[in-house]
Amino acid sequence: MNGADGHKADTPKVAYTQRSRMNRIVDHLKRDWQLYVLLLPTIIWLVVFLYKPMYGLQIAFKDYSIFKGVANSPWIGFEHFETLFSSEGFMRALRNTIAISFWSLVIGFPVPIILALMFNEILNRRYKSTAQTIVYLPHFISSVIIAGIVITAFSPSAGIVNTALSWFGIDPIYFLTRPDWFRPIFIGTTIWQEAGFQSIVYLAAIAGVSPTLYESAVVDGASRWQMMWKITIPCILPTLIIMLIIRIGNMLEVSFEMIILLYQPSTYETADVVNTFIYRQGLQNGQYDFAAAAGLFNAVVAFVLVIGANSIAKRYSRTSLW
Amino acid sequence: MSGVKLESIVKAYGALQVVHGIDLEVEEKEFVVLVGPSGCGKSTTLRMVAGLEEISGGELTIDGRVMNRVAPKDRDVAMVFQNYALYPHLDVANNIAFGLKIRKNSKEEIAASVDEVAGILGLTDYLERKPSDLSGGQRQRVAMGRAIVRRPKVFLFDEPLSNLDAKLRTQMRAEIKRLHKRLGVTSIYVTHDQVEAMTLADRIVVMNDGRIEQIGTPMELFLNPVNAFVAGFLGAPPMNMIEATIGEGDTSPVANFAGGQLALSKLSELQNSVGRKVTVGIRPEYAQIVTEATLGSVACDLDLVETLGSEALLHTTVGDEPFVIRTETLDKMDTLESVTGFTAQPDLIKVFDAKTGLALSGQTREA
Ligand SMILES: Nc1ncnc2c1ncn2[C@@H]1O[C@H](COP(=O)(O)OP(=O)(O)OP(=O)(O)O)[C@@H](O)[C@H]1O
Ligand SMILES: [Mg+2]
Repeated sequence: MNGADGHKADTPKVAYTQRSRMNRIVDHLKRDWQLYVLLLPTIIWLVVFLYKPMYGLQIAFKDYSIFKGVANSPWIGFEHFETLFSSEGFMRALRNTIAISFWSLVIGFPVPIILALMFNEILNRRYKSTAQTIVYLPHFISSVIIAGIVITAFSPSAGIVNTALSWFGIDPIYFLTRPDWFRPIFIGTTIWQEAGFQSIVYLAAIAGVSPTLYESAVVDGASRWQMMWKITIPCILPTLIIMLIIRIGNMLEVSFEMIILLYQPSTYETADVVNTFIYRQGLQNGQYDFAAAAGLFNAVVAFVLVIGANSIAKRYSRTSLW
Repeated sequence: MSGVKLESIVKAYGALQVVHGIDLEVEEKEFVVLVGPSGCGKSTTLRMVAGLEEISGGELTIDGRVMNRVAPKDRDVAMVFQNYALYPHLDVANNIAFGLKIRKNSKEEIAASVDEVAGILGLTDYLERKPSDLSGGQRQRVAMGRAIVRRPKVFLFDEPLSNLDAKLRTQMRAEIKRLHKRLGVTSIYVTHDQVEAMTLADRIVVMNDGRIEQIGTPMELFLNPVNAFVAGFLGAPPMNMIEATIGEGDTSPVANFAGGQLALSKLSELQNSVGRKVTVGIRPEYAQIVTEATLGSVACDLDLVETLGSEALLHTTVGDEPFVIRTETLDKMDTLESVTGFTAQPDLIKVFDAKTGLALSGQTREA
């Protein structure tokens, strides 16, 4: 009964709502134009720095020459991508990117959460804020300085790590020239740099949990440990999921400047990632079109990752980014 | 014997004392309501019983055992909070089961208890829902379920109904009363709603400013308040308070008002207070209207008649003080407009010292 009739009845209604939606948008613009003006700089920034450069992406499919310009260089289809996937350097960079991102996520994602949970258990206020400041601090220090500290700390001659090892009679290890040490050092460094700052989001989420939930649990007989597992973590789960989606989306964006600062030719084997590969090919070797192809590939994969993570989150929990 | 006993219980936050020595003995199976204005220390007192606030002084015993230093979980009390404190990520069944799971009861036992409680509270159809998908009244019921499923010695309620609308509140009030009859668990209930207090309580504790003003059954407090505060707090609309001087009548002491005279009970305390300035308290429902000035009545000017249906509220003034009379309407509507004064039975007139507010009239009426 509903089928055909309902459809007929719906048609004029749809037209009506579409027209009124246009009207509504115009009304909104008229009424809140100040707000839209406030939004404008961000939109301009996005267009100028993120959308306009996309025009240049076409060189990934062209035999680009600086002299002919972007528009006049001849199309060559997927040739660069074919070269890319048959190039040992790119495949190695891809493997490294995946490995480093994966381990950064697996090890790095829980650390700020654990930090936040631990801060939350500290009762002494002054001790708590001191501890927080100490872990936030590396975030505000330039990566160059962080890398400098790391390089110094791991230096074979005077570094604190090797000095400490020598107390146990262990010979100095040339950490930063050894491929097998690069990933642990890199992942450790980025965690040290960012985990404290990232924990702020979780602390805010924890602060949003109603205190009566804990009081009620105390009367019910829950220990602090049980409250953490049965109240705090489930209550901040939506935040956790959102952060995880963002992390997965940014997964391939391994902190590129930190890699540049820490790696050296002897560790390329485990350290060279897609972004550093693009950097070397594009800026150092002048193969702009080839580098653009690599960058585009990276972006497409990242895009798929964000969409994928979001739809999984949407399906299995009630939270998602959009 | 699972009574609760508070002996000179004190609570201080640093130098600020907010509860100044509370003495209260709650009998086993008794339903005691703490009532008082906002900020008088009701919640603080209740939370000290629950163990959520440290007791600064005095002694708390539950079931004959001193509890001052006992952890909340070992006090065997359950508390229902104003905002329900339901776990948003757990469904109704798991919310109710939370306390039992924490205590590591067996699975079968938990399931059986949850089913039973859900049956009692009419939640059987909602066991799989999340709190966000429940109505206010249902959430309230889940909160109660979580308390009763543990079969504690004592229930503590902190304004459990104040987030509900008026109709639902009346309904839940009756349900709590029924539940208490059925389970017979010692209960302490905090509210600032005097109607809730009157309807639910076996005994009411009226608190003010961190102290107990009076303890008694609802009718004791209603008929024989020990002071003007208690008198004004219980009853709606509140008791009328007007200034008067005690005088000597022909057969009994009288209260002299600006607009007349009322006979008072023949109590020695009143007889000895001739000439004293007092505050006279007359409940709106105990004032009787008169349409002709007589000797034993007080003249008043009618401002407004509020008709409630079977009853009406007459807003009048005596001298320049407001005076409300509650009266039946049946067959009386035409006389209401021509009210010229009121009178009251001597034993229903309360007399308070004008300065201290203490009742001079003593117990004039058996509750
Ligand atoms: N942590 C605290 N520090 C200082 N004073 C407090 C603290 N908690 C409560 N108080 C004070 O203790 C007094 C009693 O508070 P309490 O919460 O017991 O009031 P209440 O009778 O429950 O009031 P309401 O009906 O508004 O809930 C208030 O004056 C309040 O300001
Ligand atoms: Mg309170």
